[in-house]
Amino acid sequence: MNEHLMLTIALPLLGAFLLPIIMRSSLAMGVWIGPAILGYGCWILGNLWLHGNGQPFSIAIGGFAPPIGINLYVDAMALLFAFATQLLGLIFWPFRLDQDTPKRQALMLLLVASSTGLALSGDLFNLYVFYELVAVSTFGLIAASSSGAAYVATIRYLILSGIGSVLTLFGIALIYAQTGTLNLAHLAQLAPDQLNNDLGLAAFLAILIGIGVKAELFPVNTWVPEVYATAASRLSAFLAGLVSKLAMLVILRLLLLIFHQPEATQVILILGILGVISGEFAAWRAKDMRRMLAFSSIGQLGVIFIAVALPDERGVLAVLALSLHHMLIKSGLFMLADHWGGSLDRLRGLAATSPLAGGLFVLFALSLVGMPPLPGFWAKFTLITELAGQTDPLYMIGLLVFLLATVIEASYLFRVAAKMYQTKPTENVRINAPDSGGLSLTTASLFGAGLIAVTVMVSPLGEALQAVAAQAQDVDLYIQTVLQQPLGERQ
Amino acid sequence: MIPDLTLELILYSTALGLVSIGLAGLVLSRHSFRRVLALVIAEAGANLMLVLAGYRWDAVAPIVTTLGKQPQMVDPVPQAMVLTAIVIGVGIQALAVSILIRIHQRYHTLDRNEMAELMDAEIAATAGTARDVSQESPLGERPIPPITGSAVQARGGRS
Repeated sequence: MNEHLMLTIALPLLGAFLLPIIMRSSLAMGVWIGPAILGYGCWILGNLWLHGNGQPFSIAIGGFAPPIGINLYVDAMALLFAFATQLLGLIFWPFRLDQDTPKRQALMLLLVASSTGLALSGDLFNLYVFYELVAVSTFGLIAASSSGAAYVATIRYLILSGIGSVLTLFGIALIYAQTGTLNLAHLAQLAPDQLNNDLGLAAFLAILIGIGVKAELFPVNTWVPEVYATAASRLSAFLAGLVSKLAMLVILRLLLLIFHQPEATQVILILGILGVISGEFAAWRAKDMRRMLAFSSIGQLGVIFIAVALPDERGVLAVLALSLHHMLIKSGLFMLADHWGGSLDRLRGLAATSPLAGGLFVLFALSLVGMPPLPGFWAKFTLITELAGQTDPLYMIGLLVFLLATVIEASYLFRVAAKMYQTKPTENVRINAPDSGGLSLTTASLFGAGLIAVTVMVSPLGEALQAVAAQAQDVDLYIQTVLQQPLGERQ
Repeated sequence: MIPDLTLELILYSTALGLVSIGLAGLVLSRHSFRRVLALVIAEAGANLMLVLAGYRWDAVAPIVTTLGKQPQMVDPVPQAMVLTAIVIGVGIQALAVSILIRIHQRYHTLDRNEMAELMDAEIAATAGTARDVSQESPLGERPIPPITGSAVQARGGRS
């Protein structure tokens, strides 16, 4: 059963290359291949989650044992995100049929395959390759909107992402020059001796900025509002909801396993705080729905970066809770915004024409701000208590900024909600209400239902997440699982 | 103190220099094609760095032979990685150039600022909102409203 896990990466990759050929001969058969592959992936991962023994395991690829061969490392955290990738890939599958369908679906399969790889891989260079694959398929999918603005957004994103990959590669070269290995478990073993110095810090910063491009890290996030405003909403939802979290996951893993310098967490904390400030203020100023969501996404990711900078297990728990919560909320909001591309003024009186859409927006907004029974409250509560427990004054600044950001968030979200519930729509303004049977509204309802389900089951889910966080935090377990030997025997 | 100018030092500084030249080009050029070329240069620097990471000066190419004692070999792993990185780089550059062609067909310019202005205008037009403030022509209200002619006169000034 465990070996089937590799199929969750291999099958979408294979499908991505075969799909255009199959679709040329039979379109009717081709359109079912993608959803079938992703459905099977969900089934494999779900089975592992339900019937596994909860212990992490590692799969050596190509028959070479790590650290020589590349391995997949599967713990609860990786499994959770891999499952989310396949599931969201299925939910946001580009069903629309036109002459670009084969290309779009092939790229989407490629994106899902490489994102799953990003969640599972246990080798630094392998992570880099998957990261580049994610980038390439994303560029293709954004450019598929084929408007001039989408092309410009793509090239600007491509160049920024190119800078990121050069820096990542440079960081990887530094690490390899120092240690002679790129296996994460082996690196974790060697790190206290060999990477706990200035060179290790330089490598970490290069990789942080490089991978931070996808994670919407503060100075390298200028692509976010442009891309989310020009790409298809379903793609924006996938990128904001999932891909940014996967990049965050990689950074968290590297931080937990390899880089233990206090400077590393400080840099992340400062960049996170700056991200929160810039993102939330820009969102407050934004005049159209999509850009507002894009900027608010930068702010939320900044909050998650603040959580990443927290040193112990509760910090990892806060990262997981905030990430999963944001994944649910932002996906739902982007699906609602599918029909609300226009200016915020056009939403006036929308709740009367489409009560479900208005209600969902209020539900998502309440949870995003952190209203007590909703899961957003528990995620934020974990972060606040943890931040308040730190002694370093920098964390206090983080706490203050975080609380300020919540106020700004409430202000701009409820400004929109108030507009929706105004009774009189101003004359000669077109209302972009989603059609009640529409696919996007159905999808958004799905996320709303998910949110309510999480609210009901918040206590068992919280305990489960705590176990996941504890496992992710355990460096010795990681090393032992991958290298199959007690700590300290190597060398 | 000037360190001894060994080949190794020259190569390492070349790698760093290529990355710096590339990054400087990315920041300083306005023409998008030049920025793509700058990216190519920076990538070459990173690749060179990766090759150097596993290179040994007293060793031979890593080919296993059956003849007696094996001599010292260069670490082959970084070379394989550099091949992968080069292939990825070429793919991305080809994609970048093809997108640049599309942009030139739409907007008839590849200037970085003009492209960004046109994109902002198109996004604003699609959304039906006013343009955001641009560097060339700031929009929005003045923070302090201008003094009207009558008010100036009332204060005893000339309008």
